[in-house]
Order: sequence, then structure tokens, then C-alpha cells
Amino acid sequence: MFGWKQSRAAAARSPNPEPPAPPLVPDSVSKQDELLRRWMSFAGMQQRVIRTLVGEIQQTSAVVETEADSLSSRFQRLAVCAGQQTERVESLSKLAIGIEVDGEAVAIDRIAGLLEETLSDVVEKILLLSKDAMSMVYALSELNANVNRVDSCMEELNKINKVTNMLALNARIEAERAGAAGAAFRVVAGEVRELSGATQRLSVDMDAELKAVTEGIANGHATLQRVATIDMSQNLMAKDRLEVLMNALIQRSGNLTEVVGEAMKEAEVISADVAGMVTGIQFQDRTRQRLEHVVDTLRVVDEALDELKATTAETIDAPVVETADDNEWVTAMLDRFTLGELRSRFVAQIIEGKQPVDHGEVAAAPTETGTVELF
Amino acid sequence: MQMQIDRTGGQIAMSGEFTFTDHIPFKQMVTEILAAPGKAVVIDVSKLDFIDSAGLGMLLLARDEAKKSHRELILRRPSGQVKRMFAVTKFNTLFKVEE
Repeated sequence: MFGWKQSRAAAARSPNPEPPAPPLVPDSVSKQDELLRRWMSFAGMQQRVIRTLVGEIQQTSAVVETEADSLSSRFQRLAVCAGQQTERVESLSKLAIGIEVDGEAVAIDRIAGLLEETLSDVVEKILLLSKDAMSMVYALSELNANVNRVDSCMEELNKINKVTNMLALNARIEAERAGAAGAAFRVVAGEVRELSGATQRLSVDMDAELKAVTEGIANGHATLQRVATIDMSQNLMAKDRLEVLMNALIQRSGNLTEVVGEAMKEAEVISADVAGMVTGIQFQDRTRQRLEHVVDTLRVVDEALDELKATTAETIDAPVVETADDNEWVTAMLDRFTLGELRSRFVAQIIEGKQPVDHGEVAAAPTETGTVELF
Repeated sequence: MQMQIDRTGGQIAMSGEFTFTDHIPFKQMVTEILAAPGKAVVIDVSKLDFIDSAGLGMLLLARDEAKKSHRELILRRPSGQVKRMFAVTKFNTLFKVEE
């Protein structure tokens, strides 16, 4: 993979190998120096890889932290909203059960009970009124019949009075014919006539009074008839309709209570889930700590390599020069990267030797989904 | 309203609409049926299409009259509007209502 073995094997397979130059130094020493130079070159590459990885890790850690903070804030807002929603649903639940009257909650079924009680009372009174009205109609009809009978009696009385008056008149005529002998009889006839006249006047007065009573009864009967003929059946049936409406209202209230109850349970589940997510999203703290440990480890390795390179450089004469072979495996590795932006950074920093970008700048960049490269 | 009286069976059959205007013939019928011997008086309302509040009042008065004669007034087979009116006014608590 790294080309070290191949370079040695290729030299061995060469058909016309150049005759080796006479060694200025012993062969084993020259090989060791070569290996050391190759190792130092590889160590330099390793350090650039390590520094690039450190930069990537820090950048990724910063991005994860920023995104996680953002998500956490959103979930917290969601948690607050979910809590408020639960309170609203709870409030709706109370509204569904009944209404508030003078600060007291009155259940719908209790309202229906009160209404039924009131309407039953009204119905009972309507029945009583109808019964009493008909009773009075019957009583007045009876009274009217009595008055008619009295009227008939009065007519009979008038007839008798007329006969009495005629008798008195005849007696007076006979008394006049008798002359002095009929004087006493004349007085009696006069008295009888007076009595008949008084009876006649009384009869006229009674007739007038009776007429007034008859008219009064007739008026009362007519008034009562108007009252009794007012059909209260529609008013009675109103109770029937109101009962149907109240039953529908109770049914609806029940359904609403059931639905609100379910919504309440769901709202609580949502609140609990959101609260769990808020807690769960705190993973970035541990992730950051882990990555910091990884970065520290890589830095220690980097420092160790620096120190080792410095120590090794003292033992060899010639300077270390990187060859194309050292970049080949890195290039092959980078070719496998699917994120173009990441690959560009790795090429710039590992192959071209540019300094890593300060991860603080990257972290400050927008953290919307636009930064995610889709493939 | 039309009425048919069965004195021996102690039954009055009513049909049509029972309203205030029927109070005189109804009272006569009730008086007649109560004058006849028997235990209960049955008013068959199965063919009665409509009853108003005055009609209900007359039935209550008839019940009172029957009680005075120690007789029971039974209402038989109400239907339609009459049945609903009996239900709304809870007539079954005041009369024996036969279905």
C-alpha cells in the first residue's frame, strides 16, 4: 500500500540493473539512513494527517455542539408549547363537562336535571290550569242552567201577578156595584191591588237583576271559554323537544369529554416525549469531551513524532525530502472520500501542506441544513 | 270528535280530535257511563288523533268523577300525538294507561 516494499522489489526485478556504485559507506548504514529518511518523511505526512484530523474533529465537534444547542433550544420551546397545550386541553376538558355559574361549575347533566324539573312543574301547572278551567266551564254552564230555571220561575211569577192584579180589579168593580155594603170589600181589593203592584215592581227589579246575572255568567263563560280553548299542547310538547335537545347536549358533552380526555392523554405523552428528547439531546457534552480526549491524544502523538523526528534528524547527514511515493497512498485514500468539501480540505492540508482553517470560524458559520452535503 | 258508548261494557270509544268544543257531549257520556253499574270505566283512545290541553283537563275531571263513584278510569291504547302528550304529562302516574 505504502510503496516501500514495491520499490525494493522493483529494484530486485530490474532486467539490467545498473551496477551498484561503489559504496562510500558500508551498505547497511546507507540502507538504514534511507529507511530513516523514508520514516521521517512518513512521520511528516502522519503529522499533517494528524493535524488535519484534529482540525476536522474540532470543526465537527463545534458543528455538532452548535446544532445540538440549536436542537435543544427548539425542543425546549416545543416542551413549553406542549405544556401549554396540555393546560389548554385540560381547560377544554373542564369546559366540556359543564358551564360556570356564579363561580360554581355546573355539569351539563345537572342542568338537564334542573330543566326537566322546571318543565315538569310547568307541565303540572298547565294540567291543573286546564282541569280547573274546564271545571269552571262546567260550573258556569250549571249556573247558567240554574239562572235559566229561575228566569222561568220569574215568568211564572209574572203570570200569577197578572192574574192577581186582574182579580183585584174585578173585586174593586164588584165592590163599587155593591155600594155601601161593599166598602170593606173595596178596601181589601185596593190592598190586593197594591200588593200586586208591589209584587210587579219587585218582579221587574228581579228580572233586571237576573238579566244582569245572566249577562255576567254569559260574559264569564265566554271569557273562560277563550281561556280554556287556548291550546297548551304545543307548550307541553316543548318539554318533549327540550328533553330531546338536552339529551343530545348531554350526548355531545359526553363525546366531547371523551375526545378531550384522549387529547389530554396524547398531550401528556407528547409533553413527556419532548421532555425526554430535551434530556436526550444533551449528548453533545459527552461527545465533545470524548473528542477533546481524542484530540489531546493525537496532539501528544504529534509532539512525540516531532521529538522523534528531531532526534532522528541528528543521526542522518542528508535532509529529508518527500517523494511522490509518499503522497500516492494519501491520494488513493482521499479518492475514497465522498464529501468534496472535506476532500478539498484534506488535499490542501495534507498534500499541499496548507495550515488548517481555524475551527472557530467554521463553527460560527450558519448551521442550517444547507451545510450538509447530500450524496 | 266522535264518541261511541257501550254502557254494558263500561266503555267509551273516542275518535278524531278531542278539544274544548267537545266538553258538553263528553260530560254527558261520562255521566251516563258512571250511572251504569260496573267497576272500571274504559276510554278507548286508539282512534283519537289529537288531544289538546282542554281535553287533558276533561279527562282529569272525568277521573275525579269516577273516583267519587269508586270507579277506576282506564285509558286504552293511546297512539301518535295522544301517546306523546300522555308521556309528556306523565299521565301514566295519574291513570291506568293500557298499551
